[in-house]
Amino acid sequence: MNVQERSIATRIDPVTAAVIHGALENIAIEMGHKLMRMSYSSIIRESEDFGAALTDAEGRQLCECKMSTPLQSGPIPGYIRGILATMKRRGETIQPGDVIMHNDPYAGASHGPDFGFVVPVFVNERLVGFSVTTAHHLDVGALTPGSCGIVDAVDAYAEGLQFKAIKVTERGVRNEAVWTILRDNIRAPDLVVGDMEAQIKAAEIGAERYRALVGQYGLETISAAYEDLMDYSERLMRDAIRALPDGEYAAVTHIDGYLDDPDPARRDLPIAVTLRVMGDSIVVDLTGTAPQVPDKPINMPLVGTVDCAIWLTLRSILLDSVKYGNIPQNSGLTRPIEIVAPQGCLANPSFPAPVIARFCPGNQLADTVMKALAQAVPEQVSAGIGNLRVIAFSGLNQGQHWVHMEILEGSYGGRFGMDGMDAVDTLYANTRNNPIEDIESHLPIRVNCYELRPDVAAPGKWRGGIGTERAFTYLSDGGFSVEGEGHKYRPWGFRGGADGTVAELALRSNGAETALPSKVPYHKVRAGDLLISRGPCGGGYGNPFERDPKEVLADVLDGLISAEAAALDYGVVIAGTELDLAATATRRAGDR
Amino acid sequence: MKAIGVDVGGTFTDFVYCDMGNGALAIHKVSTTPDDPSRGVMAGIAEICAANGISPSEISSVFHGTTIATNAVLEHKGAKVGMITNEGFRDIVHIARHQRVEHYSIMQELPWQNRPLVKRRYRKTVPGRLGPPTGAEIEPLDEAAVHRAATELQAEGVEAVAICFLFSYLNPDHERRAQAIVQEAMPEAFVTTSSFISPQFREFERFTTASMAAFIGPKVGGYVRHLDAALEAAGMTGELRIMSSNGGVATPKMTMEKPALTLLSGLVAGVLGGAWIGRMVGRERLITFDIGGTSADIGIVVDGVFAETDARSASIGGFPLLMPMLDIHTIGAGGGSIAHLDAGGAFKVGPQSAGAVPGPAAYGRGGTEPTVTDANVVLGRLDPDDFLGGGMKLDAAAAETAVSGLAERLGLSLTEAAEGVLTIINANMANAIRSRTVQKGIDPRGFALVAFGGAGPLHGAEVAAMLGIPEVIVPPYPGITSAMGLLTTDLKYDAIRTEFQVSGKVDLDRLNADCREMEAELAGQFAADHICADQIAFHRVGDLRYVGQGYELKIPMPQGELDNAGLEGVWAAFHKAHAAEYGHAFKANPIEIVNVRVSGIGTQPKLARLEPSPGGTLAGAILRRHPCAFRVDGSLERLETTYYRRDALPVGEDFSGPAIILQQDSTTVVPPRAAARVEPSGSLLIRLEKHP
Repeated sequence: MNVQERSIATRIDPVTAAVIHGALENIAIEMGHKLMRMSYSSIIRESEDFGAALTDAEGRQLCECKMSTPLQSGPIPGYIRGILATMKRRGETIQPGDVIMHNDPYAGASHGPDFGFVVPVFVNERLVGFSVTTAHHLDVGALTPGSCGIVDAVDAYAEGLQFKAIKVTERGVRNEAVWTILRDNIRAPDLVVGDMEAQIKAAEIGAERYRALVGQYGLETISAAYEDLMDYSERLMRDAIRALPDGEYAAVTHIDGYLDDPDPARRDLPIAVTLRVMGDSIVVDLTGTAPQVPDKPINMPLVGTVDCAIWLTLRSILLDSVKYGNIPQNSGLTRPIEIVAPQGCLANPSFPAPVIARFCPGNQLADTVMKALAQAVPEQVSAGIGNLRVIAFSGLNQGQHWVHMEILEGSYGGRFGMDGMDAVDTLYANTRNNPIEDIESHLPIRVNCYELRPDVAAPGKWRGGIGTERAFTYLSDGGFSVEGEGHKYRPWGFRGGADGTVAELALRSNGAETALPSKVPYHKVRAGDLLISRGPCGGGYGNPFERDPKEVLADVLDGLISAEAAALDYGVVIAGTELDLAATATRRAGDR
Repeated sequence: MKAIGVDVGGTFTDFVYCDMGNGALAIHKVSTTPDDPSRGVMAGIAEICAANGISPSEISSVFHGTTIATNAVLEHKGAKVGMITNEGFRDIVHIARHQRVEHYSIMQELPWQNRPLVKRRYRKTVPGRLGPPTGAEIEPLDEAAVHRAATELQAEGVEAVAICFLFSYLNPDHERRAQAIVQEAMPEAFVTTSSFISPQFREFERFTTASMAAFIGPKVGGYVRHLDAALEAAGMTGELRIMSSNGGVATPKMTMEKPALTLLSGLVAGVLGGAWIGRMVGRERLITFDIGGTSADIGIVVDGVFAETDARSASIGGFPLLMPMLDIHTIGAGGGSIAHLDAGGAFKVGPQSAGAVPGPAAYGRGGTEPTVTDANVVLGRLDPDDFLGGGMKLDAAAAETAVSGLAERLGLSLTEAAEGVLTIINANMANAIRSRTVQKGIDPRGFALVAFGGAGPLHGAEVAAMLGIPEVIVPPYPGITSAMGLLTTDLKYDAIRTEFQVSGKVDLDRLNADCREMEAELAGQFAADHICADQIAFHRVGDLRYVGQGYELKIPMPQGELDNAGLEGVWAAFHKAHAAEYGHAFKANPIEIVNVRVSGIGTQPKLARLEPSPGGTLAGAILRRHPCAFRVDGSLERLETTYYRRDALPVGEDFSGPAIILQQDSTTVVPPRAAARVEPSGSLLIRLEKHP
């Protein structure tokens, strides 16, 4: 049924609703804008690995900052639910003037390095909601420097400090002891605490604006507006699901895990997704996914990582913003989606299984959801994506730690009518790289290259996106640690497109190059050592012999593929810089 | 001194003639000639000169706002561009910041990958590398490789080349040497360097800005040369000045060297015009609010100073630009914005626009979708028989049909739906203003809103009321405020040096040397433009941040030799600005001077004042009275509304709203609980009552 013919029950008039929705969105944008600009570490200000949102008193998300990365704003409702449950268990209550810090991945936080700072909003002594910022912090006191690549943490305690709904400010009074403990137990405390202060200030601004909005319209009107807004997002998602044929769509992909580990239970781990579409709702069943790895941190918190990966992938495909515009990201959007994940599997681990390195497995789960959904909506997906890699660089400079985190891009698979995006963050991540001129100006690192990899694009009618080659030379002694994926399993090709290309990592030291697996615990290096990352390339989409010969020629002229590959993979014959269309036709016909 | 301002827009080319000596002023409009805009420009100049009995040879300056560069980018019709860059870094402009435009989209495009300014095949790499902190050479430039690359680009028919090396902002030597080699091998080509265009760190943004300059360079150069020649052929011996994005004007020579200066040419003139109008009413804290058919452009002026974008926020066509620019916030909200119910049933207005064709339903050109203009017609705020001074008839029945369809789907009455369209579009515009004021620590309640463009005066007062802005100023000719703005500015050239110097450890000698060098460089440019030294003034601004942050704030720096006492003042100003903008200052933290900028201002003749039309009596200006719908205290009421003819209004006599004022190029709405009068400068000043 066309939505315009359907009568929609709303609580308030559509004009007031539109005005309040705009105001809510504006508040979240302001929070993010200020956080990004005030913060100190490049992971927030350059990579934009932060989130900002308002929720109601139950933790239902009202709006989010569209500048923030999805994996930071998405979990915010979970943070609030986790905080409320934790405080209830301890018999604590929320008071005006409190600021709450929380990073418990078993109670809503996405993983330990992501800290939520929560400012409750009171109007006439009644709790009406929360203003929340989240961000990834450079170091949280884990066993080795940095907060990524902690791939050998054996349990939740090895991942760093755990703060479970701790009031850093209580009724307006700062709890200095907490800050002292924090400072004494993390590396690079100035940067980290500076970022946390920025988070608190941004959340306070959001609270102030939200309070003013409630003051202007009254809580009843505001509540009615956001209830309508949630219904609105829900309605769009239900309409999109209803358009899918009922049935089951299943897919399996694999993560590397620890490829160099002798224990087979730690590598080649399946991620299984079954989508059950019925009417206007969908069940996402992860049964069949590998059991949790009890002493390696690649387990994924169900709330904060797994749920976000699923929601984000479904909305990006079913409600693609290029077609649907900016649909408000709120709790209504997720109502039609039920997630089933057996306790004790990789996607629903039991405490204290470590989870700090869940980033890449989570994105692989997102990719698997897309692979399952591809069967229902083949023209709205990409072929398999190339996953990301995170590297922590560190060293000592006059007794002080320096820590730098770099998220290395993947690439998308080919799409219906379009090639895959080259060299971008994929699916649930959307951070930014650091300028080379910034890295080299502030760290003892030289960047030796940053280019697309040649001759690796996955052939297809629409070819896969291309990953990068990036190389870093240490100018002084230091170390690094890495969490990555996709060294063994190639991104899936779709509808006759070729599978993509795996990622590689190598260390060149004293002239000798050593290949490294996708996960490397803290590894010392000497000045002059060179770390080389080769990013993965997404899968191809459709039969490459149907690719427009002009596009193949363009790729050859642009130096992305060789003329030999054009002939072999695409059946396109190129003479000099021109197409030989006759020879191409013959070759393509012969190969059929 | 006689001057003409010419502003080329999408539909019309506007002219303002002014005799700076006696204040005489005339305006004129011709249709824009998109295939060659200079034809319309030349025809209009001839007509305005003839109409005012002056010979073209008497005109001493022509100030020109052009959209040549903007259109080339938006339509992606520029030169075939090549690039020479460092070995290992061929794809900096393709990888960008590795971030997608959209979070939640599989099928999105990335402008830099789908519409590259420089195709990969024309990006050549050469050995040679510089490094921080001084730009020292790590690897020498391979000049033979540069020559080979240039020869290849020449053979491939490339028309413009951007030379882009890492760390060139610290040391332009490699880029300059490469430029000389390329220019010699490609004598016809436009060749530029990233350090010349924008010597600031962040390679993707700088390389992209240089590529953009190359992309539009041949087109802008050709246009300016052609126009300059045409003016001369028409017997005009005066100077041609081109509007720049930085709020000043540039000579043809400068425009040809730095074509990216003109990317916001047209928009900037509007902000200047709005600011000048505000000043004539004695207001120095202003929000300029320019609404046309498809977009609303917002600029901020604090105590006479125009807000500039920070280095990371300027963009065009999805490409970042690392250039000094006025901060102009554009949103898709205008007279043609379409009201609709989206797929989820929400009531939305814009950003889609009916444009000029088919246009709003009321234009009677086949448009059937309800637009903001149609809502204004339904509510009686636009007069179907007196639109654009009677120059165009509006189809009221068509407007009503379009809006009533919407009303039916919404379950609202016709009036409620029409008024809802205005409330929503006004709220969108108020949010946009909020993002440039409240969110940056500026309280709009201390500002006046200058509303212009065809539709600005229709919405200005109600938008102001939403923000608590107490005053709205409507210029005498709202439709040609941009052209007028062209006659209010100076030559303005910018120089910049990246410093990365930290409080407590500042190398004052280096800082002072850099400032002296920049001032000498700018003085040289002015001298080349034949501008006398006594007409030049310099201003210094630092881009400052707390060490570790990634975003800078602009802080004015003292003139002359900087010493420690001067720096203390700069640090204090930074803490204060940070607290104002973000609500907090980290006073214990060290501060980093990222860049130092010097702007050179070369004084130009300017518009001095406006004479109001003589007017008559208030009673004589009344056209009629008629009930109109307004929202008062949240509910809709029909109130008796007085319609006035603008040019018949007397100066200095108050009248109260609700009122609607008709004139040739715009319509002004004075809502209930507001009063208005014509100021001695000819502008209309609307004062809004405070909310209870």
